[in-house]
Amino acid sequence: MYQYNEVDQKLVDERVEQYRDQTRRFLAGELPEDDFLALRLMNGLYVQRHAPMLRVAGPYGMYNSTQLRKLAHIARTYDKGYAHFTTRTNLQFNWPKLEEVPDILAELASVQMHAIQTSGNCIRNTTTDQFAGVIADEIEDPRPYCEIIRQWSSLHPEFAYLPRKFKIAIAGGPTDRAATQVHDIGLHIVKNDAGEVGFEVLVGGGLGRTPVIGQQIRSFLAKEDLLSYLEAIIRVYNLNGRRDNKYKARIKILVKAMGVDAFRELVDAEWEQIRNSDLKLPLAEIERVKNFFTPFEYDEAAATDTSLEQKLAKDESFRTWYERNTVEHKEAGYRITYISLKPYLKPAGDVTDAQLDLIADLADKYSFGEVRATHNQNLVLADVKNSDLYQVWQVLAESDLARPNIGTLTDMTVCPGGDFCALANAKTLGIADQINRKFEDMDYVHDLGDLKLNMSGCINACSHHHVGHIGILGVDKKGEDWYQITLGGDDGSNAALGKVMGKSVASDEVADTLQKVIEVFVEQRFENERFIDTFHRIGMAPFKEYVYAPAN
Amino acid sequence: MPLLINRKVVEDNWTLINDDAFSEEGAVPAGDIIVPLALFTEHKESLAARNNQVAIQVNGNDDLTQVLENLEQFPLIAIDFPAFRDGRGFSIARLLVRAEYKGEIRATGDIGQDRLAYMERCGFTAIQISDDLFKPEMLNAFEEMSNYYQSATDSVRAVYHQ
Repeated sequence: MYQYNEVDQKLVDERVEQYRDQTRRFLAGELPEDDFLALRLMNGLYVQRHAPMLRVAGPYGMYNSTQLRKLAHIARTYDKGYAHFTTRTNLQFNWPKLEEVPDILAELASVQMHAIQTSGNCIRNTTTDQFAGVIADEIEDPRPYCEIIRQWSSLHPEFAYLPRKFKIAIAGGPTDRAATQVHDIGLHIVKNDAGEVGFEVLVGGGLGRTPVIGQQIRSFLAKEDLLSYLEAIIRVYNLNGRRDNKYKARIKILVKAMGVDAFRELVDAEWEQIRNSDLKLPLAEIERVKNFFTPFEYDEAAATDTSLEQKLAKDESFRTWYERNTVEHKEAGYRITYISLKPYLKPAGDVTDAQLDLIADLADKYSFGEVRATHNQNLVLADVKNSDLYQVWQVLAESDLARPNIGTLTDMTVCPGGDFCALANAKTLGIADQINRKFEDMDYVHDLGDLKLNMSGCINACSHHHVGHIGILGVDKKGEDWYQITLGGDDGSNAALGKVMGKSVASDEVADTLQKVIEVFVEQRFENERFIDTFHRIGMAPFKEYVYAPAN
Repeated sequence: MPLLINRKVVEDNWTLINDDAFSEEGAVPAGDIIVPLALFTEHKESLAARNNQVAIQVNGNDDLTQVLENLEQFPLIAIDFPAFRDGRGFSIARLLVRAEYKGEIRATGDIGQDRLAYMERCGFTAIQISDDLFKPEMLNAFEEMSNYYQSATDSVRAVYHQ
């Protein structure tokens, strides 16, 4: 994992003092509310329905145990004892006091963390594959490039006031686990015919009110041109993106309006001017940053373990968890291990201070002291020995972190919704509970296989309902919460936007409606077929027909 | 209105004018003037007859092609920030520097303390701040951060070249 040097540390320390002064000026009435708004947003602070919300950056999802313990301490000391992992792999505190935020930022800086650019119309946290560096199918570990982008984009003087927020995601290989096609810029690490490793670049993807799948703007970009090309795209966007309507201000609208070919021409013309400037990345710098992400010293003896097989044969609950919540590691004798943050009847992505401490201990003891957050709001211990899995499972299970539901219907991605968020049109948490009650039988849920369910409380789509195999969108109808259901979305390598199934359903009918959708799936499914594949094969009509059939 | 050059408040010899100056009751003031681009284009000939210097003010809505092709014509180019959130001016300044513009690049409009350092980094050589927003402590803003990761238009080199 990346470790700060003096330059990094000084930057976050100075930033804390700068924000302390900004807060002081605001509280003293010297800084107008509107100006402070833009500044606090650039430090991750929103004002929500009940209290301010502070969003802490988890750079490309990486956290170490020291940082997790600090986050636990902050949750205990400055908040109500819990925190929330987001779909941008960041961490939110929901109840900090505005005047204590500078102190919280100082605590964060002491463990090489910050909240810089976690909100506001600037370049946000770059996200990537939660299996970076430990999965066999990747071409190269994307994290060094994420870190290089983090540094380049942090406090970028030209791009702090873009037309709208700007999100970049990188996939390390052919399998897209970072939803890159629904980002402002998506980067895919690819190998060209000459065997050189570089990036395929997509632009103009995004969700929110106008969901769009990104389009290819460049089939191959050399590594050393990464920053100059990003800068060219964002400069063209900064100068040409719409400023008159914040709902039409994302880059996707500009790319759509111009057409990707015309947009590419502008970018290429700009890029020609800067590609041989200071922005050209020295290969030595890429190597330097790569050195922070070299593989751990894995224990060769781990591959000879036989205890795992014995435990799997003996303990059915353990086996269920193992099959659902762990993934093959590129090193024999190790597993990539999920920590499920989707327990029964509790908010998705929430962790308590005690759980954070416990996860930190597990990371130290069993996974080289590191934890990753996923864009589906779970956590990952990336390097657990087979022989340790049983123990890890037992500890996780005691703390309600081992629900064997990763990738299933109850592994829902859910925003805080109308209970917390000022933007929401409808509540989400109660609906998630309703669905959990309906689909409580885990054997049944497992039999349904991989199924991605995403629910957002408004059209801003923070929970990416457009790319759920099943998406649920909360809408307001004359003061009541109603829910629109979409089918067929996907944020993987075959990214697609879900289509609306039909008229929205009342809040007490959501789980029953889902049940009907699932019944059609079970009825029509080929053996072991995934929901999304059945949907593609049979189309919307059978679902629509059955769900909206008049009761008789 | 206070004008900052080299992080110090200096005397300002320029007057920014608007369309009132060209109306029937109005009059274009004597001395050096800054004229918004649209007005400048409209009144090019009468302005060319003046003895004093004439500069232009541009913003993100202007087509800058003509300006970039005739840079040597302008002793000063003001870039307007019509609203706090409008960041186009940062990119425009960089384009001027890249085109080797040698005159003064001045920021005008909605400018608070918290963007002064960014403006300097993007190539502004003068920053005009409205009376109600200006406070002498604002000048501390230039010193708040002592290092940056990325290169821009100032002398800071990208961290990987440092």
